[in-house]
Amino acid sequence: MGLFNKQKKDGTEMIGRSMGQETWRRLKKNKGAMMGIAFLVLLLIGTALATIFYDYDKDIIGMTRDRFLAPSWQHLFGTDNMGRDIFARVIYGAKYSLFISFGSTLLGLIVGLALGAVAGYYGGLVDNIIMRLTDIFYSIPYIMIAVVVVSILGTSMSSLLFAMALGTFCNFARIGRASVMTVRDQEFVEAGRAIGLPTWKIILRHILPNCLSAIIVQTTLKVGSNIISASSLSFLGVGITPPTPEWGAMLSDGRSYIRSSGWMCLFPGLAIMLTVLALNLLGDGLRDAMDPKLKR
Amino acid sequence: METVLEIKDLVVRFDTDDGVVRAINGISFSIGKERTLGLVGETGAGKTTTALSILNLVPDPPGVISSGTIILDGKDILKMSEKDLEHMRGNDVAMIFQDPMTALNPVITVGEQIAESVILHENLSKEAAMERAKEMLELVGISGSRAYDYPHQLSGGMKQRVVIAIALACHPSLLIADEPTTALDVTIQAQVLALIKELIDNNHMSMLMITHDLGVVAEVCDDVAVMYAGRIVEIGTADEVFNHTLHPYTEGLFDSLPNLRQRGEELIPIKGLMPDPMHLPEGCSFSPRCPYATEACHHALPELKLVNGTHYVACGRYADQAFRIRRNPDGK
Repeated sequence: MGLFNKQKKDGTEMIGRSMGQETWRRLKKNKGAMMGIAFLVLLLIGTALATIFYDYDKDIIGMTRDRFLAPSWQHLFGTDNMGRDIFARVIYGAKYSLFISFGSTLLGLIVGLALGAVAGYYGGLVDNIIMRLTDIFYSIPYIMIAVVVVSILGTSMSSLLFAMALGTFCNFARIGRASVMTVRDQEFVEAGRAIGLPTWKIILRHILPNCLSAIIVQTTLKVGSNIISASSLSFLGVGITPPTPEWGAMLSDGRSYIRSSGWMCLFPGLAIMLTVLALNLLGDGLRDAMDPKLKR
Repeated sequence: METVLEIKDLVVRFDTDDGVVRAINGISFSIGKERTLGLVGETGAGKTTTALSILNLVPDPPGVISSGTIILDGKDILKMSEKDLEHMRGNDVAMIFQDPMTALNPVITVGEQIAESVILHENLSKEAAMERAKEMLELVGISGSRAYDYPHQLSGGMKQRVVIAIALACHPSLLIADEPTTALDVTIQAQVLALIKELIDNNHMSMLMITHDLGVVAEVCDDVAVMYAGRIVEIGTADEVFNHTLHPYTEGLFDSLPNLRQRGEELIPIKGLMPDPMHLPEGCSFSPRCPYATEACHHALPELKLVNGTHYVACGRYADQAFRIRRNPDGK
């Protein structure tokens, strides 16, 4: 593979191609994944620009007289019941959806992976205790967990993040445990012990990097499903509350006017759908790119 | 003679759901400074378990080291704290694994894998450790610039050289080589063996060479211990065991090797199989397969007895002064 193009410019040092570079090379060939990445990058740039150029009090939550205007060149996505420009709100609101879904996935990933890795590495009683605990969380619908957490901690961004992380970590604990178990008994782990590495270093340096592909793919897919969860919770009024332009909350606002002004629901809904689609395309692409069996 | 490692009455068993597997049943041996001991025996004789016991790495559960002492440089390994053990592993005792294809981590460069041990035990900076890694690679005959390669970019023989480099990076006093050439083809085997022998001699190290290949033993070992069903049946210098064989099992091993000088000669295999370590026979474990076995062999467990010099054998038949095996009619 890397044999032909790993000569550095000075021709002395030979450096093999890393797993990251190899994955990126194969990912670039996947049109769906690249479209997903393009959409996400565009969304990130858009929401960053919107944060700079729109005035939150005036453009995002301020009321005007232009209520229920249909989409036009003036208002690309139309306006809502308060006369606010829906385009501005959707773009501006992307950061809430993205922040909550990425944040809660990351939190769940760290906690879940740590628990799963410990369970998978030690096995036996430790494994049983940790996995039965996650099974309990797994068996409760995430909306129930979220309602309980939010009613205890109050509605805020951080309580929503925490609630969703609780619903996410059991997924990662299972994946972490399963992949650690497949690697745990390989000889290089024993070799690591034989040179005197402490257990935590063996797990962090030798076992987890070998499970990375499964974890990365699951993370991308989970971010997508967490966007939907966050929107559902906001829609139910448990998550972020109006007037904050979170996509789920906007859908909830538009529900009453869906017959007369459908665009109020259409555009936030489309935004959710496309973002989740982009993340899923990226996740699928990553899975193919990181699977050594599909190497061409 | 100064000893580096001394094992006394080591007993290891595995408590599995199906029953107790008696893997090692009271073995004793020692390795002198700058000596190489070959531990020979067929699959399942307990060779690898012995090696793992020396590092106190017998998987627990199900493995239990139930009695015995393992003295390394004057300290009992079985009484060490986990911290001391981590310090000892890799620093005082290092191990070369059987299969280089799986003994290296596929996602870390080979240089980093060598450096890892150096960073751990000698508190070097990452850069200095990488320099050492490159030196180690040169030492085992691989260009230092390959330090940035991943294991899949190296051939099998080169990988085993890397595994040797990792083992020797911290200059351990004892090297355990667990069938280091089994996974390699014959020409590479010879190279790797020559390399190990050269490095051992140059660094004044001792070695425990685990193998089932008597040719390998003849090539590199000073002393030989023959293991059968978790016990040592014959131990002595290579000359004593090869040229003055005493135990019927050792004789059986030699008989099943082709002889280069008499190519037409028929091979004589040892009949039967190694006993199931869950149900070891009551008397001598080898008696069911032994052509010399008498009724007494099936009941009494023979002890390892000194015959002459440093040559010990565990065979009940030698109670009869006149008993000789075919290979060694003089009995000396």
